[in-house]
Amino acid sequence: MRNLIAKLALATAVLGSGLGVAAADTANIWVRADGSNFMPRIVDAYNKAHKDQIKLDIIPNAEIIPKYGAAAAGGTAPDALSLDLIYTPSFAAAGQLEDITDWAKSLPYFASLSPAHVKTGTYKDHIYGLPFSADASVLIWNKKLFKQAGLDPEKGPTNWAEIAADAEKVNALGGNIKGFYFSGNCGGCNIFTFMPLIWASGGDILSEDGSKATLDSPQLRGAIDLYRSMVKKDLVPAGAQTDTGANFFAAFAAGNIGISPSGAFAIGALNTQYPNVDYGVTFLPGKDGGWSSFAGGDNFVVTKGTKKLAVVKEFLDFAYSLEGQTILAKYGSLPVRGDIAKDALRELDPRYQIAAEAMAKGKTPYSVVFNDLINSANGPWTQMVNEVFFGDDVDGAIANAQETMQSIIDQAPQK
Amino acid sequence: MRRKYRQAMTTITATTTAPPRVRKLVGAGRRQWIGLLYVAPAVALVMVFFVIPLGMTAWMSLHNWPLMGEHAFIGLDNYWAILRDTRFWNALKFTGYYTVIVTIAIFAIAFPLAIFIEKPRPFTNLYRTFFFMPAVVGFASASLLWSWLLNVDSGLFSPAAYDLGLIDKKFNLLATFQPAFWSIIAMVVWKVAGFTMIILMTGLQSIPQDLQEAAVIDGAGPFARFRAITLPLMRRTLALALILSVAGSILAFDQFYIILRGGPRNQTLTAVYWIFNQSFVSFKLGYGAALSMVLLVILVALSLIQLWLLRKPEGLD
Repeated sequence: MRNLIAKLALATAVLGSGLGVAAADTANIWVRADGSNFMPRIVDAYNKAHKDQIKLDIIPNAEIIPKYGAAAAGGTAPDALSLDLIYTPSFAAAGQLEDITDWAKSLPYFASLSPAHVKTGTYKDHIYGLPFSADASVLIWNKKLFKQAGLDPEKGPTNWAEIAADAEKVNALGGNIKGFYFSGNCGGCNIFTFMPLIWASGGDILSEDGSKATLDSPQLRGAIDLYRSMVKKDLVPAGAQTDTGANFFAAFAAGNIGISPSGAFAIGALNTQYPNVDYGVTFLPGKDGGWSSFAGGDNFVVTKGTKKLAVVKEFLDFAYSLEGQTILAKYGSLPVRGDIAKDALRELDPRYQIAAEAMAKGKTPYSVVFNDLINSANGPWTQMVNEVFFGDDVDGAIANAQETMQSIIDQAPQK
Repeated sequence: MRRKYRQAMTTITATTTAPPRVRKLVGAGRRQWIGLLYVAPAVALVMVFFVIPLGMTAWMSLHNWPLMGEHAFIGLDNYWAILRDTRFWNALKFTGYYTVIVTIAIFAIAFPLAIFIEKPRPFTNLYRTFFFMPAVVGFASASLLWSWLLNVDSGLFSPAAYDLGLIDKKFNLLATFQPAFWSIIAMVVWKVAGFTMIILMTGLQSIPQDLQEAAVIDGAGPFARFRAITLPLMRRTLALALILSVAGSILAFDQFYIILRGGPRNQTLTAVYWIFNQSFVSFKLGYGAALSMVLLVILVALSLIQLWLLRKPEGLD
């Protein structure tokens, strides 16, 4: 009899678990390697607390776009994707993404979501992407070197003249110490950290809707002169000229650089990997003060026609909860919900608050050909920044970039 | 004297290259089938990894084929667009310039090395291994290694020269065209010369020793022997090494992508780099396919020209 009961119990358990598995749904999402720290943590937390599950794939940064394109063509695309936000307009224009306008607008906290992300996630008045992870650009300085140079280690530069003057003083320490660092052959790095100097001074390189290149502004010319003067005075290491971004963060982390524009990611990276570097964080200033920031990070997009929409929405809703935002913040992304950002960051390094403030006002240029214009190592923006910072013909380089950018915009399939 | 060598050479080549006699036997048909069966795996590989992709590339080149979204047939429009693509033609011009320089450089290093290691002498095997070793490193790994060596701040060359007091200021080799270009040439020669050396060495070893000895007895100096015996008998080997070097250089990509990213200021964009750029940065797969087809035609034409130039002269067979 006991045997029979045991068998019945076993049968019930097997049947029950079988039914349970059948009822749960699994959605597949992809993330670029930049998210490899926070994404598995938030997926784990979600999977533990929900019946429906997420299966996560981490794809190398450079491969995620071609791989997604190939998968979409072959009908094997993931249900959703955490996508570098600048690509959202071109993905939407290609008809690849699910229109999530109604759902997005029904979220009670919709108005508090990072405006720059929502703007790039919107194409022809429809929403195709919502903010997922975020990174703002900030200026970081080495407090130890500031002190050695006779500067106030607690006060970072607040305008361009102060950047140049502080960098020069640090540089005067000599040896391997240099005043300033930037990656001189990296389009992505410079849109992220050089562009805010121009925005903060009232200039821009693209019109609001991305249909016009506007490189011929005095603000751009002024910011170029600031960098050129520092290069000329030898305040910048020689390797900056050919740095395609590999050294973007590493140069400052080595402890020999006075000031460097960077991203909020640097706070976590410095704290965990370079605890000996004592640094300050401030905004990227305009010529005479004020400040601005690039809004980077990822938008969450859904592949058109996916059958797992409900799971994907449930996951995103979890990511937007205080628990989700706290996990993201703890493992390297700024919160994307402005209304609970402070709470999510409460237990973290207070320097994150500056980055979060920068994020709230952050800007992202809007273009369906952003990759061609800005990120491409051989595109007009990368070529221009390298020429104007280190070359001889500044005006020619700007004019050339203006013309090339406009022709790429004009030839784009959809605007 | 020269005629004597020629006669001797003719006899030798004639014996070594005489066509095999075909015997018609009962069951030859069956054997042919067995033969076909043996080569079937190789044929299948060529079909799957060459013929079918080639056909697909040709088909794609006739389409407006974005990375994402619908594709549409546009006939020869991509090819007309190539005619106006000045950056492609500039890239092709640079690729040609690079090919000529790097091929000359490789042969200039590999030939003397091949002569040096051809004959057994103390430590020959050690030398052979030493010279050949870089060839086994993948191009991408070698490029990464060199991009570190060439780094002005944290690498080897510039910091070492600075620390030894040879230069007053660290010099960024990759910042301007000429030093950057020659740095790449140095890296490629380091990487490829050993491989070319082995090919040339086998060619040298196949030259009959008695020909050289006869020439020495007749009083021919080293230069005369090289010109009248070595070079003519090396034609086939030279053709092979030359075609491999030229084809490899026309398709150069890894080192320019990894070390220079086409820089400084897009002056080192190669043809394949531009195809990569159009396909996977601008996401224009159809246009990239058309560019690939054009490059393929150029490559086949160049190889045919080389084979024709290095064909066996009359009277040697």
